Amino acid sequence: MSAIVDFPVKPEARPYLDAFEQNPQTEPGPLARHRRRGLARFAETGFPSRKSERWRYLDLQPLAQHPLLPAAAPSAGVLQAAHEHLTGLLLPGKGPRLVLVDGYFAQDLSSLAMPEGVWFGPTSAALAERAELLDELAAEPRGGSEHPFLALNAAFFAGGYVLEIAPGVALDDPIEIIHLGSGARASSFHTRSLIRSGAGSRASVLEVYAGEGRYWRNDFVAIQLADGAELARTAVIEEAAEALHLARIDATLGRAASFAGFALILGGRTVRHEASVAMEGENARCRLDGAFIVTGRDEANIVTTIDHQVPGGQTRELIKGVAAGRGHGAFQGNIIVREDAQKTDAHQLSRNLLIGARAAIDTKPQLEIYADDVKCSHGASIGDLDEAALFYLEARGIPAEEARHMLIDGFLREVVETVDDFATRVHLLRRLAGRLGSLEE
Amino acid sequence: MLEIHNLHARLADGREILKGIDLKVAEGEVHAIMGPNGSGKSTLAAVLAGREGYVVTEGGVRYLGRDLLAMPADERAREGVFLAFQYPVEIPGVNNTYFLRAAVNAQRRHRGEAELDAGQFLRIVRAKLKLLDIGDDLLQRAVNVGFSGGEKKRNEIFQMAMLEPRLAILDETDSGLDIDALRVVARGVNGLRAPDRAIVMITHYQRLLDYVEPDHVHVLQDGRIVQSGDKGLAAELERTGYGTFDELAGDAA
Repeated sequence: MSAIVDFPVKPEARPYLDAFEQNPQTEPGPLARHRRRGLARFAETGFPSRKSERWRYLDLQPLAQHPLLPAAAPSAGVLQAAHEHLTGLLLPGKGPRLVLVDGYFAQDLSSLAMPEGVWFGPTSAALAERAELLDELAAEPRGGSEHPFLALNAAFFAGGYVLEIAPGVALDDPIEIIHLGSGARASSFHTRSLIRSGAGSRASVLEVYAGEGRYWRNDFVAIQLADGAELARTAVIEEAAEALHLARIDATLGRAASFAGFALILGGRTVRHEASVAMEGENARCRLDGAFIVTGRDEANIVTTIDHQVPGGQTRELIKGVAAGRGHGAFQGNIIVREDAQKTDAHQLSRNLLIGARAAIDTKPQLEIYADDVKCSHGASIGDLDEAALFYLEARGIPAEEARHMLIDGFLREVVETVDDFATRVHLLRRLAGRLGSLEE
Repeated sequence: MLEIHNLHARLADGREILKGIDLKVAEGEVHAIMGPNGSGKSTLAAVLAGREGYVVTEGGVRYLGRDLLAMPADERAREGVFLAFQYPVEIPGVNNTYFLRAAVNAQRRHRGEAELDAGQFLRIVRAKLKLLDIGDDLLQRAVNVGFSGGEKKRNEIFQMAMLEPRLAILDETDSGLDIDALRVVARGVNGLRAPDRAIVMITHYQRLLDYVEPDHVHVLQDGRIVQSGDKGLAAELERTGYGTFDELAGDAA
């Protein structure tokens, strides 16, 4: 029996409970209570089962068998080395940037200067300076019961960021968040972040996830858009070859708010990107796009839920996937249109390229419609590279492998080019091209 | 430059399409290969360019002294063989300029030359566009995507100008073009005639030959060349139709 919980603990949760107990508790009461509650819930539920619909496509056995305990704060040496790894991951400008190493805020690598009306800083500072944010930061996310790792995240989160934009403030330069895994020790990084976009504000956030060695990233971002706010949030996931990346964003949209979420998955042994969007205000607009490449024995899983609760919402969702080698990609998308959400206009499309006989793609687009005056569609396709196009390129002297990469790049580029911010778009296309340069089919 | 000897080829399903083609093309020459639908014209172009799906059962092809059929399609192209497609393929997401630079640089690498950077490449593009008297409106679009029939064929000739092939095979480049588009394309082809370059035009109609004058004309019928002559043969065909040659094909069989 554990000192923290008085019920049977799932065996795979035991090492994390032990790690928690060994940690000295120095935080203020309310936060400590949130943490203990999260830990208890994780202890009770353990890892999600593959029988659970939302987790069926991922193999979590390796993680269950080889626990990755929360990382310690990086040493000065590790931070110094991390500096070298940043090259290539950054946008060219000197815009606002927050760097997390092994899930901890790295002050010397960050530049947080922001115009009037914007609060931007690490989660740890937000908790110290902005006690009123505690509940929003530490609260259990929607549908948290299906996501035991979010409970574990509540127990352990060390870093993350808070971005709060006052009403009416427009930020032209993208804000960069870099999540770096140092590879210093096999461990897990639990990060928790919050974006609050005030009414009529406008901003663009680029989050980059990269690293070295074996680690498990467990990331949660809560996003709140007030009426008329516009926010683009782009994630580039290019984790280390052996890394696990389980991330979730929860976005809530006010009236006529506009959210554009984008995820580009280029690397990582097991990557799960989950996005849940609640359309709470009328006439809100949501674009949720993504692209993934899996090779080797990689797995990537994009899981999305867009919940239209009120009238007049608009959703556009396009997810493109490429699976090569023994890679396995999966998309599970659900658009819910509730009874009151009349005049909803929602379209969802999943398009995939399967390269080679041993790669696999699963795609499950889904619409749940309870209103009667709506315009909704969904679709999915899985195909091979176009042989006629390949021959056309080869007939111009382009070597076969380069021709294949050009076609894959062209296929994914179509969705990457929907990213509005120019610097972000250029960065994504460059990272994509770099990834294809080292593609093993 | 090109020597086709007793070339037999069939489709994967076993149907024999080419039944013994003999043809010699020398540097600087323009040849027209004419024939009705189904005579094997496009199959000949496809086999020469290296498209998959055809099996050569007999005979061979030598190009600049080498065994052409032993080379994969991309190598043939880098060695200077160019096929202008009857149906240029649309490739969404691949920018036309980017594609063309990749093609030019693949050829340059093959020859041991330095690759062109974006600036050097664009200077050559501008010069060629001027030479062919065509606009640069196609450069920033995806390869052939949304191009009209005329734009697609113009793009083929532009690619030919950029790649400067030794042997250009134009497969029905005149099909589907109105007279203005045909003139633009013909002007491009004429501009690319050169002493060290051979051009083989495959066409159903005499029309293109009014604008690009061939040195030799061949009639292809049921997988064989049944008659060869000078440009007067094309005019005769125009008058009498392909029917006259059915007899000849029968004799040859």
